[in-house]
Amino acid sequence: MASLRTNERKTLMALHELGGKATIEKIAEKSGLAHAAVMRATLTLSTENYVKIHEQKRNIAKLSREGENYAESGLPERRLLRALLNLGGEADVEEAAHRSNLDAGLVPIALGWLKKKNWGSIQGQRCCLKVNVEPQSGSDEKLLTLIHEKGVVAVEQLDQQFNEALTSLRKRKLVEIEEKVSRELELTEKGWKTIKKGFKIVEEITQLTPELIITKQWKNVKLTKFDVTAPGPAVYPGKAHPLQQIIRRAREIFLEMGFTEIRGPVVETAFWNFDALFQPQDHPAREMMDTFYLANPKTGRLPKEKLVNAVAKTHENGWVTGSKGWGYSWSSEEAKRLVLRTHTTAETIKYLATHKKPPIKVFSVDRVYRNEQVTYKNIAEFHQIEGIVVDRKVTLRDLMGTLKTFYTKFGLEKIEFWPCYFPYTEPSAQAMVYHPKLKRWMELCGMGMFRPEVLAPMGIKYPVLAWGGGLERLAMIELGLDDIRMLYGNNLGWLRRTPLCQ
Amino acid sequence: MPVITLKVERFSKFIGKPLTVEDLVKWLPWIGFDIEETSKDYVKVEYNPNRIDFCSYAGVARALKGFLELETGLPEYSAEEPKITLTIDKAVADVRPYMLAAVVRNIKLDEDAVAELMEMQEDLHWGVGRDRRKASIGIHNIDAVTPPFLYTAVEPPSVKFVPLGKTEEMTLKEILERHEKGIAYKHLLNWAPRYPLLVDRDGKVLSMPPIINGELTRVDENTRNLFLDVTGPSYDAVEKSLKVLATSLADMGATIEKVYVKYPDCTMISPNLEPEKARLRLSYANRMLGLKVSADEAVKYLRKCRLDAKTIEKDVLEVSVPPYRIDVLHEIDLVEEVAIGYGYYNLKPTVPAAVTVGEKHPVNKTADLVRQIMSGLGFLEVMNFTLTNERIHYELMRITPKNPVKLANPVSAEYTIMRQMLLPGLMKNLAENKHESFPQRLFEVSDIAKINKRLETMCERRLHLAAVTSHSTANFTEIKSVCEALLMNLGIKNWHVKEAKHPSFLSGRTATIQVRDKPVGFLGEIHPQVLNNFELENPTAAFEIDLEQLMTRETSK
Repeated sequence: MASLRTNERKTLMALHELGGKATIEKIAEKSGLAHAAVMRATLTLSTENYVKIHEQKRNIAKLSREGENYAESGLPERRLLRALLNLGGEADVEEAAHRSNLDAGLVPIALGWLKKKNWGSIQGQRCCLKVNVEPQSGSDEKLLTLIHEKGVVAVEQLDQQFNEALTSLRKRKLVEIEEKVSRELELTEKGWKTIKKGFKIVEEITQLTPELIITKQWKNVKLTKFDVTAPGPAVYPGKAHPLQQIIRRAREIFLEMGFTEIRGPVVETAFWNFDALFQPQDHPAREMMDTFYLANPKTGRLPKEKLVNAVAKTHENGWVTGSKGWGYSWSSEEAKRLVLRTHTTAETIKYLATHKKPPIKVFSVDRVYRNEQVTYKNIAEFHQIEGIVVDRKVTLRDLMGTLKTFYTKFGLEKIEFWPCYFPYTEPSAQAMVYHPKLKRWMELCGMGMFRPEVLAPMGIKYPVLAWGGGLERLAMIELGLDDIRMLYGNNLGWLRRTPLCQ
Repeated sequence: MPVITLKVERFSKFIGKPLTVEDLVKWLPWIGFDIEETSKDYVKVEYNPNRIDFCSYAGVARALKGFLELETGLPEYSAEEPKITLTIDKAVADVRPYMLAAVVRNIKLDEDAVAELMEMQEDLHWGVGRDRRKASIGIHNIDAVTPPFLYTAVEPPSVKFVPLGKTEEMTLKEILERHEKGIAYKHLLNWAPRYPLLVDRDGKVLSMPPIINGELTRVDENTRNLFLDVTGPSYDAVEKSLKVLATSLADMGATIEKVYVKYPDCTMISPNLEPEKARLRLSYANRMLGLKVSADEAVKYLRKCRLDAKTIEKDVLEVSVPPYRIDVLHEIDLVEEVAIGYGYYNLKPTVPAAVTVGEKHPVNKTADLVRQIMSGLGFLEVMNFTLTNERIHYELMRITPKNPVKLANPVSAEYTIMRQMLLPGLMKNLAENKHESFPQRLFEVSDIAKINKRLETMCERRLHLAAVTSHSTANFTEIKSVCEALLMNLGIKNWHVKEAKHPSFLSGRTATIQVRDKPVGFLGEIHPQVLNNFELENPTAAFEIDLEQLMTRETSK
């Protein structure tokens, strides 16, 4: 008993006052509770065996939309009848129809029933009434009015006459029958006993208010017991984009490893994006189909002549580097063209041209561009993770160790380094990670030591370890995505419901 | 990257012992291949464009045999003395000046081998010839024609021949205008008054370089002797293409026979298949790789990579490089060969000893702070592309275009310019999320691009912040409160707002954010016409700030 809540007690009292047996509707009326509140209370009361529920099926008649219209304006045959009476009992069908204000579609219906009810007849285009005074409402019309007034009528309560009318109205699709289950509650023995013992109803409070707290009235009220398992309404916090979360993590790892962040322009001259990195001017990566070139502005300026000349000669014949070079005639016009940088290495080499004192450890996680059609696996702009270590005695093994540390911190364990090729590094490698779900090796990043042809023109005297890889690929593994466009689609549902921690 | 499909059964014959798909998947990555696709009887692999010698079964087999130590050291290529002469007419000097050639005797071709020849040719056209611009190759049945050969240039309408794959004769002019290869490569010739042509003693046409061969010298399974021609404006590319092709054919079991190539001023003997010599300092290799290998070990590793080496003085090895290794430019390339021979999987990772202190870039420090504050204010971060188009960026925003950074070669009409502000992107995000529950509060902290002629790159990137709030009661006051909270938490003191006009915002509900009396951003209620343009139904208020300007103005005295 002690466990019963206010609404349950109120329901029990009302049921008692109604003689121990009543419908939900009646209890609601008596107790002043909402229908739904009584239903909820009933659920508990019946599980706890205070009441028994009797379910009863009833057929309810109610008007269709058409039925409602007729209940208000009269059946079509009645309207036609009145029009004909006004026209003296006989008229052209068309005129009568016009006078009755019936929709064209209803005229045949009206004529049909006029004949059927024996109120009139039709000869050719003429229509003659058989009655001189307006007949009284038929049982069909009476029933229509009754249902209209009451809203619904229980079929079982209708007499013989109305039953025939009901059949007729149903055929005319003016009335619909619905099966309805009515629930009647009856006090059980336990219920009776409880009530006989007597209890009082204490008002419950849903929301604790400042007033209750200040006046200390909270001591005298009962706080509603909540269903703590019920779901709360959705709330969406402000938060960082999932991809930004991963960028942040990558940056944090670099910072933890003692790297300094650099940031450079995304619009770059081909000189820094390609030439300074010993990429020959006829290299396929420089073609329009791979790289975005600018129409406005078209060209930029080259750095100091001395540097440019050194780069030019290295391309042409190797300059003083001991290399054969690429064996072609280098063009400064080609180098001046502006591109959207295709890799952040453009920024790295620019940085190294002016920062030469070892040790140097720098990184960036920043935007790069490729002239790609946007599809589920390619996008035209994305982020590259880039790291550089310069020191007197760093080696390829150091590069492998640095990368291993980096990706292990990212949670990727099974990593291998395979031989690879990049125009500006030698020896080169690619870091591969084993994807346990896809059961295959995936490339994480390209890596290597900058070639002498890259270092000499910049005046860099020490080995440079470099690596760069796509961030979005990591993000897709992390977020379990198979469509890269999702990362930039800004689907609010996805953003709101993607956890910050994977 | 170029691709080659290795049918395991055929490939095993090149290796000389049966291999399985698993063997190939296990070993090929360690000599620089990426496994693209596997099935029960083939492996499709990608190789790096510098190793164009991997364009044939023979080329891959050479390398793998070395790595598995089935056959190590330098492959020897002997070529028979020249019997045939190719004359280079001075007429070609102005159009496609160089041609080198080789004769291939006693080749055994089957269906697979003929197909492979075609693929090798295409890979070389792309990888070395740069789509035939620098060099292109013709492979002919030499028995269908009669030497000596002449490489000349003729008036385009003056000569007719049946191009490969056709049945009717066409003039050179017609080939360039109508033949599919002629149309595809006409830019390589159509500027020249005379077009190059390779003919035999009787004037029969072998090919019209770099467009198409003649049907006469078509190569099929019954062909036993070949004539290889390589032409181009780059002697270097011509020579390299021929070396790669000739060595692959030699490895397929054929005999290479040299050719006299008579230029107007000199005669040379082609092809030159002698190995090149290069120096490698052992200490240099060890220093770069972090190893301590001895000279003998280094020789062993180089031999696994099909090179050869011997010590010529203390610390110095003389390395012999086979003719197909056109990728070796510098000593450092030999260092990598030592590493590959050593096995990348044997290189134990170490950590550099340098102690350094890391630091965030100041701009990104600001960005991080702003993200934190905006999240705290209940805004959700979005990330848009920096590339956009004029319709979204200007037209829908009721703005006249302001000289944006524009792409020369956009890949689609959707991405043609770089954004100058973030707000249009956020409006698009709202438009695409109308089905999601409201209120919707979004922000973006990212770059915009502007033209700035003072800079080397003529453009600058600046970090911006934009935020929108969209719901049935969004208004100026709400967004101003957010903006104030942001500025307060960023520690900005000398700021105020000033009434302003902006075509994207409602007049009378628009302001600029001024720091030390200079505008750094704007805020207001979005103009209903803009809302209609984006088909938005809720009132929306927004602001956008140039964060770099905000921070520098605040700290400047």
